[in-house]
Amino acid sequence: MREDELLNNEKVEKVLSPHPLSFMGYQSLCIFLIILGTVIGWLVNFSDMKELFENYLVSITVWGLVLLIVGVIASLITIRWRIFFLYLFIFLGGFGIILWQGWQDIVGVVLPFYTVSVSIIGFLIVELFRRSHKYIITNQRISFKGGVLTKRERTLRYDKISDINAKQGILGQIFSFGTIIPISQSGFGLGSDSAQAAGGVMLGEKKVKLLGIFGGGKEVQTPRARSYYELHGVHPYKEIKKLVEEMVQGSVITPYQQEQVAFQKEQVDIQKQMRDLLKLQAEGKDEDGEDKDEK
Amino acid sequence: MEGSIIDILIFAPLAPILGVMLFWFIQLLFIESEKYLLSKIRPKHEPLCRFTNFLGILFQTISHALGYTVTKSGISDFYISVEYGKVAPKKEKKGAFEWISNAFLFIGPFFIPAFLLLLCLFLLINFDFASTSQTLELKYTFGGQITAFGIGLYSFTKNFFELLFTLDLLHPGHLGFLLLLIFLGMGIRPSYIGEKKIEKVDMLYELKNVWNLIKNKPSYFIILFLIAYIVFYLSIFFNQNWYVTLFTIFGWLSIISIISIIITNLILYLVKTTDDIPRFWKVVPFVILPVSYILLRLLFLYYPVDFTTTISLIIMILLTVIVTYILLYTKTNKFKFKLGIKLLKKKIKDDTDERG
Repeated sequence: MREDELLNNEKVEKVLSPHPLSFMGYQSLCIFLIILGTVIGWLVNFSDMKELFENYLVSITVWGLVLLIVGVIASLITIRWRIFFLYLFIFLGGFGIILWQGWQDIVGVVLPFYTVSVSIIGFLIVELFRRSHKYIITNQRISFKGGVLTKRERTLRYDKISDINAKQGILGQIFSFGTIIPISQSGFGLGSDSAQAAGGVMLGEKKVKLLGIFGGGKEVQTPRARSYYELHGVHPYKEIKKLVEEMVQGSVITPYQQEQVAFQKEQVDIQKQMRDLLKLQAEGKDEDGEDKDEK
Repeated sequence: MEGSIIDILIFAPLAPILGVMLFWFIQLLFIESEKYLLSKIRPKHEPLCRFTNFLGILFQTISHALGYTVTKSGISDFYISVEYGKVAPKKEKKGAFEWISNAFLFIGPFFIPAFLLLLCLFLLINFDFASTSQTLELKYTFGGQITAFGIGLYSFTKNFFELLFTLDLLHPGHLGFLLLLIFLGMGIRPSYIGEKKIEKVDMLYELKNVWNLIKNKPSYFIILFLIAYIVFYLSIFFNQNWYVTLFTIFGWLSIISIISIIITNLILYLVKTTDDIPRFWKVVPFVILPVSYILLRLLFLYYPVDFTTTISLIIMILLTVIVTYILLYTKTNKFKFKLGIKLLKKKIKDDTDERG
């Protein structure tokens, strides 16, 4: 955070960025590509089954099928179809390059090289995305910044945080990083998981047909935010979590403090009344403001 | 049938049991050495230790859950973290079922990872199981049984070492097997290595657990022995090799575990040794490992010789050792013995005298 961005009496406590392994979801997509590239290279060039792959179409079909099937499975698990489309794009790209350049004879070299190259580019993009994140914890607020091309920013004051959600996966436990989602009073930081079910029935043949569809849905609110709106994969997790909790706690008035404030307010009111009375007395007036001498 | 009646009826069934116990004890000793190495490198390699803890706890929890499943107790709670694992049964069963669950908990972590590797050998790698079967005539005496057990283990170990020394690391299946061997080797230890030294981190704790298991319900232990004796008598009756084969499999599991722990220990030792090397130089031995292997394989592709995989593996290991030694010698004070220090002192003194 630049000096001019700081508020009055604001002090930076920590400047954080996500741990290199915190985007393992995206990185695993690239790791899979490396494995696929290596295995297809071995199958086509060195394995006992290499005769099967003499026709370039067989190699491309096997490669593409594995890529797309994994894409579908990953998309279903994560409920993100963009993974499938990404793999589809990689498949079409590879196929297109081979046809365009006329590399059908050297498919055994091109396919592994292309797949591994794409995965390296993927790793670089993920790293670029990770490095675009910056979280600044000050004594007054948390500032979240992120985004490669479009810069996004969120500022959250501690007194506006109603709840803190923290999670740490197995990798996080091993490398001591984790994600902390501060949920604001307006509900920012909450997402929803929905499950839907529908059933249809069709009766009758030829003329008389009856169609009925029954459906239902269920929605569960869950803490979820984009990586640039949460403290994503911060390290060291326990220390940061404690710091944020202390900051939030510090900005919240406890019942005892509330009692004290009410009491002080009462005291101030009494003192104000006394001051007014003394003032009136000094001016020689009674409580109603009439001159005593006139009476 | 050779041998006295007492030998055949009483002592012979004990032979494979004692053999398995011996190998299990050796396994425990190697586990101890692994724990020692891990505790030594822990301050600098906390994540690695946490990872090995996780593997150990994972196998322990799976063993426990398996115990509850086998005894039909059901599982109501299953929790694993890097530091702690917990499995709670749906129904609290007492007696034999509880004993079996506990037996799974205490003994499972030692054998389940090895069993997974054995499955890999069977399913993924073309391992020669056929030649591990014994060829000598089976004798139902103590000596005969221990010989049969020993031959079973010897031929398996020989084949296993042959496989290890012919591993083709450019073959995805072989590379996967080696990685699995190393990972599971890190997990074959049910104890947790934490920030503070705790009672659990020693071999005696595990032995005590097993001893308590026997001591608390001796009747169940006796029943197990009786079952073993009955199986042995049935083997004699049908003149089949079942009894020794059963225990030989347990012996195989121990052998796999021991070899896997040895390989893991070598890697941990390399990690510990390279910690002394300053800056980026410490990475060099780990880079040498794959790079030298790939270069050697490429070399042998153009100049083919016999036993390429074995030669590549051996040269790779030797190169790594030599490079590590050179780095330790040049970049640290290691291997600078008395004579060297004396010479250095003399040189410094001469330099000072010259200046003076």
